[in-house]
Amino acid sequence: MMHRLDAPAGEWLDRSGTLRFTFEGREYQGYSGDTISSALAAAGVPYLARSFKYHRPRNILSFANHDSNTLFQVDGVPNVRGDVTLLRDGMRVSAINTFGGLTHDKARVLDRFARLLPVGFYYKAFHSKRLFPRWERMFRALTGLGEVTLGAAREATPKRYGFCDVLVIGAGPSGLSAALAAAQSGAQVALVDEALRLAGNGAPQALVRAAHDSTSITLFPATVAAGYYADHWVALASPSRMTKMRAGAVVFATGVIEQPAVFRNNDLPGVMLASGAAQLLARYGVAPGRRVVIVAANLDAYVTCLELSARGVSVAAIVELRSAPERDPAVAACVALGTTLLPAHAPYEAIHGPDGTVAGLRIAPLNAAGHLDATSTRRIDCDAILMSVGWAAAAQLFLQAGGSTRFSEELQQFVPQDLPPGIFAAGRMNGVYDVESRLADGRRAGAQAAAHAGFGVPGSAIVAPSVRCPSHPFPIIDHPQAKNFVDFDEDLQVKDLENAAQEGFDSSELLKRYSTVGMGPSQGKHSNMNALRILARLRGVGVEQLGLTTARPMYHPVPLKLLAGRSFYPERRTPIDAQHGSLGAVWMPAGNWRRPEYYAVSGESRAQSIDAEVHAVRSSVGLIDVGTLGKIEIYGPDAAELLDRVYAGRYSDLKVGMTRYGLMMDESGVIIDDGVIARLSEQLFYFTTTTGGSATVFRELQRWNALWGLDCTLVNVTGHRAAFNFAGPLSREILGALTDIDLRDEAFPYLAVRAGNVAGVAARLMRVGFVGELGYEIHVAAGRGPDVWQALFTAGAPRALRPFGVEAQRVLRLEKGHFIVGQDTDGLTDPHEANAMWAVAMKKPFFVGQRSLRILQARGPRQKLVGIEFAATTPLPKECHLIIDKGAIAGRVTSVTHSRALNKSIGLAMLSPDLAQVGRDIQIRIDNGDLLAARVAPAPFYDPKNLRQKVGSSA
Amino acid sequence: MSALALKLHERRDRLGLKGQRAGEWLAARGIVLPATPNTWTHPEETFGADALLVARLGQFEFFLEDGMAGTSLKRLSAALDEQPPGVYPVLREDWAFQLGGERVHEVLAQVCNVNFAALSLDSHPLIMTLMIGVAILVVPQSVAAERHYRIWCDPTFGPYLGESLGAVVIECGGSYTGVSG
Repeated sequence: MMHRLDAPAGEWLDRSGTLRFTFEGREYQGYSGDTISSALAAAGVPYLARSFKYHRPRNILSFANHDSNTLFQVDGVPNVRGDVTLLRDGMRVSAINTFGGLTHDKARVLDRFARLLPVGFYYKAFHSKRLFPRWERMFRALTGLGEVTLGAAREATPKRYGFCDVLVIGAGPSGLSAALAAAQSGAQVALVDEALRLAGNGAPQALVRAAHDSTSITLFPATVAAGYYADHWVALASPSRMTKMRAGAVVFATGVIEQPAVFRNNDLPGVMLASGAAQLLARYGVAPGRRVVIVAANLDAYVTCLELSARGVSVAAIVELRSAPERDPAVAACVALGTTLLPAHAPYEAIHGPDGTVAGLRIAPLNAAGHLDATSTRRIDCDAILMSVGWAAAAQLFLQAGGSTRFSEELQQFVPQDLPPGIFAAGRMNGVYDVESRLADGRRAGAQAAAHAGFGVPGSAIVAPSVRCPSHPFPIIDHPQAKNFVDFDEDLQVKDLENAAQEGFDSSELLKRYSTVGMGPSQGKHSNMNALRILARLRGVGVEQLGLTTARPMYHPVPLKLLAGRSFYPERRTPIDAQHGSLGAVWMPAGNWRRPEYYAVSGESRAQSIDAEVHAVRSSVGLIDVGTLGKIEIYGPDAAELLDRVYAGRYSDLKVGMTRYGLMMDESGVIIDDGVIARLSEQLFYFTTTTGGSATVFRELQRWNALWGLDCTLVNVTGHRAAFNFAGPLSREILGALTDIDLRDEAFPYLAVRAGNVAGVAARLMRVGFVGELGYEIHVAAGRGPDVWQALFTAGAPRALRPFGVEAQRVLRLEKGHFIVGQDTDGLTDPHEANAMWAVAMKKPFFVGQRSLRILQARGPRQKLVGIEFAATTPLPKECHLIIDKGAIAGRVTSVTHSRALNKSIGLAMLSPDLAQVGRDIQIRIDNGDLLAARVAPAPFYDPKNLRQKVGSSA
Repeated sequence: MSALALKLHERRDRLGLKGQRAGEWLAARGIVLPATPNTWTHPEETFGADALLVARLGQFEFFLEDGMAGTSLKRLSAALDEQPPGVYPVLREDWAFQLGGERVHEVLAQVCNVNFAALSLDSHPLIMTLMIGVAILVVPQSVAAERHYRIWCDPTFGPYLGESLGAVVIECGGSYTGVSG
């Protein structure tokens, strides 16, 4: 059992006071400086977690912030990483993924049915369409990690951009010396390490102090370099923020990750990596057990043995996988201590006691060929098993950066092969293991990185890799009863990988996807290397031939709050925003704008307010802010030519002072935008786009203009102009008192555009009829918008003016049968289907989409946009409800509303052409599954001859 | 070092000009033009009350802002009524902010990916970039040996930029004045 020892020199704890916390409802104590994992380990808590699939009890494996065994639910926050999260007084910690608590987890029964959950089970189970819903429910209930607390408070975590000349990732000996070398060359350096403190990890303390003291080095402790992006952008995830670091050069001193031995029950609580045990011992004074067995295949095992012995922990035996350890003082010291050394032996199975934790290790001898003799096993009693059999390069970020690796047979490790410009590697990742060599390699990489960033000159001394092999080539022991885990996150055993390969998933990429090896929280840090070794042996090839998979960013799990940052949302507001607020606007999002949905009036319901707004436009006058429309100017001798080419209509013959509807298509003939195009002079046009389309249309026009090399210039003035639609039978009369423009029909006819003053402000007026009434669209400079709005409002108030919002406008335009691009059309709708061929000048020599439109016309419409009406007022369908004909989908409702003016409910629908005939009865499936009757009706529904908007008289 | 502060700039006359003859037309009216795109000129380093700032956004594109007491743009606007060929006036109703003081670069690092701290002001750089999702124009200035930044944006993004940037400024110990715009 793990337990706390007296304080070692240099530990990371402050033992002057204690912190109280609970785990699974039981109270424990720790010290300031403890992490959650170290405090629980010190308290001797036998289990910390249940495994993902079989719900086996688990405890610390790596203590390196990698494995899923030490993820916790803390004060309602899921998946808190216990290895690196500092303990706080009063913390409430619980295990994740359990049913009824950690000890009595009901799902632990799954461990007995492991044979029924083979590799690829998901794919096989989900194959049946009939059973899919059942499996889905079951898996959703059983799997997962922490529990999301939907009511949790939002934590805004500011992101930050960072800039440095040289970024060094990893602050071990090579990283420290690289950072110092780069700083000495004059570079500004950022030094990042995921450890809570930058303590050097075995480097001379003088270097650690120098790094802390350097004014050219910015330290980022407790920070994970989680993703690499182009041009040396690196995502640095700290506990409280994400830093997007832009570096001139990057040194990867990311080191190596210790790999487990694979043997039966290697996941029992009490089995852990030797490096994790060593860190617990040195930093937190926690012993892994009272009687320890070390499974060894490198020199680190012996160093660990000495460290444990020095703290009074009994090492029962070193089970050496190799025929003999290397000659080294550490080995000799272990022997001198009387430690039992068992060369050419392997762990056969870990044995658990009544409480499920390690009680012993059964070992077996290996013959000269390395084969295990399972008939000659023997048991060694112990309460902890440490694994020290090898390492894997922490190369995932390096691979993301575009580096490539090769497999070194001598080192049994992937090492960098090709490094992109500005990328440098140092230390154990390069296969350089002893401290002096790591320091030298770091100096070399740091100087080279600084030189790349423009500081100093690069050194050229290459540091030779280690002559000792630090990793066993195949630390994997088969067992007839399995439970020899390769991937602890995903509960994958050796046989799972064997079966996957046998089923044909025998490349590293396929094996990963089929078996899910490396797809858990550790992202393969402990499993990918062993999985590759197994696959290589099964295929009879070298590991080199299989290669590493490249993890996507984020390589290390990152809390979503860090990605969300402050959740900036660039919202646009029109110049009239304050006036809307004072008029009781109820806001709605429209693209990235906020617009009044309607104006709430005391004593009126939402529906009544919208109805009253519609009625005001139909009977007197209404005022709506249409400043959200895209507004673009185009100047120059070729302005008309450009418009002729990008819009479906013809504008070269448009008279100065007139407007014309504009329909825009993409090259495939699909409607993408519409608006009104006004000709202000021979070489100056001013036109509107949809609210959501201004940026896209402007960009598209600029692109075409650049491609065609026309002599004209575009300006997007969307935000710089305010615009209102002043509409209703009284609009002319009221506006007339405010403007110097002659509004009489003969002077300012329907579809004309005029410039003049409104309320003393220079304005452009367009006489348009989107809402089907006499109306004027008034465009003024944004800064004067509020003045003009107020003048119109004041002048109209005695005549029953109401401001109207988006909802009322939708009703008004629907009564007129006008479609809205993107709502009544979709990503495939062409003008023929939308009954908009009247706006298309097919005789023009060219316009974007013309060729496709000819093809589409010849093919015939796939669907037709039609008007529909309903016999009953309620219920009404919702937009996107499906139209059903003979049991099949025959279309969808695109818009629907109740019209007070027409005293009936109306809508638009996309229908199969064979149903799109006026008078045809159709059926619409609504939310409760009922079929609702409707009839195809002629549109416009209101004032079909458009007399009201054209002459301003009653229809 | 002065205290960190974000100020919504007082309303000033602004004008854009585009077109192949825009530079020639301005120069003919005695306006000193920046020689290269993405730079700016100002007749006085002190940014006097009547001085005209001229920013060159491209080879044929300019942004001009008058000082508080300036009259240059009124004069230029009147001349534009003649519709000179190859010169296209562009309506500029931008919102403008001034950001400066202690920790100004900490604020900027949280909202923009340009390394403003590393900019040399000798060449009068003009930065066109995104700040928390909004296209902006930035002129770094050295006023009384302190770095200040003048920031312009589309007016419809003005409230958002002011409120969001102001919140960061306040969190960093500064102040934001002119919230109402």
